[in-house]
Amino acid sequence: MSIGRDERAAPVYPVPSHVCLLHHGEAEMRPAVLEFMREAVDRPNEALLCFGEPGVGERLLRDLEAHMGHEFTADRRAGRIMVGEAHSDVDQQLENFIAPLEELRARGFALVRFVGVVAWDVRHFPPPEDFLWFESKMNEVIAELPVVGLCPYDLARIPARGIAYGALETHPFVLCDGVLRENPQFIPPDRYVRERLLRLPWLQGEGLS
Amino acid sequence: MGGEVVARSAIDQQRAGIAVVDSDGTVTWTDEAWAADDGEASLPRVPIGANLLEAYREYSDPRAQAIANAIAAVLEGKVTYFEIEHRSDPDSPSFLTSVAALRGSGAGAVVIDKVVGGREPSERHRPTVVRASGGAPFGHEGERLTPREREVLDLMAMGLDNRAIAAKLRIEYTTVRGHVRAVIEKLGARSRLEAVARAYRNGWVPKG
Repeated sequence: MSIGRDERAAPVYPVPSHVCLLHHGEAEMRPAVLEFMREAVDRPNEALLCFGEPGVGERLLRDLEAHMGHEFTADRRAGRIMVGEAHSDVDQQLENFIAPLEELRARGFALVRFVGVVAWDVRHFPPPEDFLWFESKMNEVIAELPVVGLCPYDLARIPARGIAYGALETHPFVLCDGVLRENPQFIPPDRYVRERLLRLPWLQGEGLS
Repeated sequence: MGGEVVARSAIDQQRAGIAVVDSDGTVTWTDEAWAADDGEASLPRVPIGANLLEAYREYSDPRAQAIANAIAAVLEGKVTYFEIEHRSDPDSPSFLTSVAALRGSGAGAVVIDKVVGGREPSERHRPTVVRASGGAPFGHEGERLTPREREVLDLMAMGLDNRAIAAKLRIEYTTVRGHVRAVIEKLGARSRLEAVARAYRNGWVPKG
């Protein structure tokens, strides 16, 4: 079922929500992500967190500055717009994500938007199985918070297992081609470890790799 | 299995000799059976004040070497429990030596040596059985974990993150981080979830 969308309007995101954006290449990602971010910048009672591999969040903000035609220096200095970095240690990555969220929440913003740009099996990012756990854990982290998160999964870069086990099983909502839908493949975090993570093909057998 | 449990169990056994050693291997306490040393144990019962680790290292006997290695592994925190079973020949009694960490007492260990086999010639010959390889005194990977690390592993398997584990165990977050890293390293995993998967597959965590 599609939610809150017609051909002209931007998607209406439930709060809280954790949404995967399925896109093919940067050209498809940019309009959806920049629009999502722009809404936060335009609304003084909202905050924005850009999260990803080192450098990715900064690059997204520069793209948005170019897109909107002005710099965010004051908002960044005031801490309304923040950047978080992924880490190869998933526990550290979780802290890098939770700490700014808690800070923004404590400062009373009506809504915090985050963009978490997904990578797979690369340096400065947790191993795939730990990253999947992190994605599932996001749902618990934001469950009681006024947070909307958008996680771009590039179909041109992320392997099929990342799409199947990550995009489709750890996000309650999917945004594809501008349409936001509830995701029937979603596995709640309290079941995800046993139902998926312990069954990941590459974690089976004696030869774990 | 914790040291207290091992000790309590062994006290009920006939012909068990129990010694407690401190962090450098010095004997600090023994039970009467250990102190009596009836000669049946085949290895010297090192008295209070002497260093059991050093004394056994001086023996060429493989069982003495195995016990010394086990004590060292327990004191270094590499394992929490270790067993060495030995019979020199088919007509000799079988000895089971257990070395366990003393829970909550720092680096101390308890050593229990007892006769577990009969003297019947028909009984199958059983040489020294040591869970060790290449001189490194280890049991299986799961046995390398301390009791606290096992608790942490159980909670990791339930999907809890470090903050939740810290709250559950009422310990500091940074302490949990250290335990999680130790669990991953000791289980030879590359990641948090690989450690959990390995533990789950080997039955080291509840499957419920």
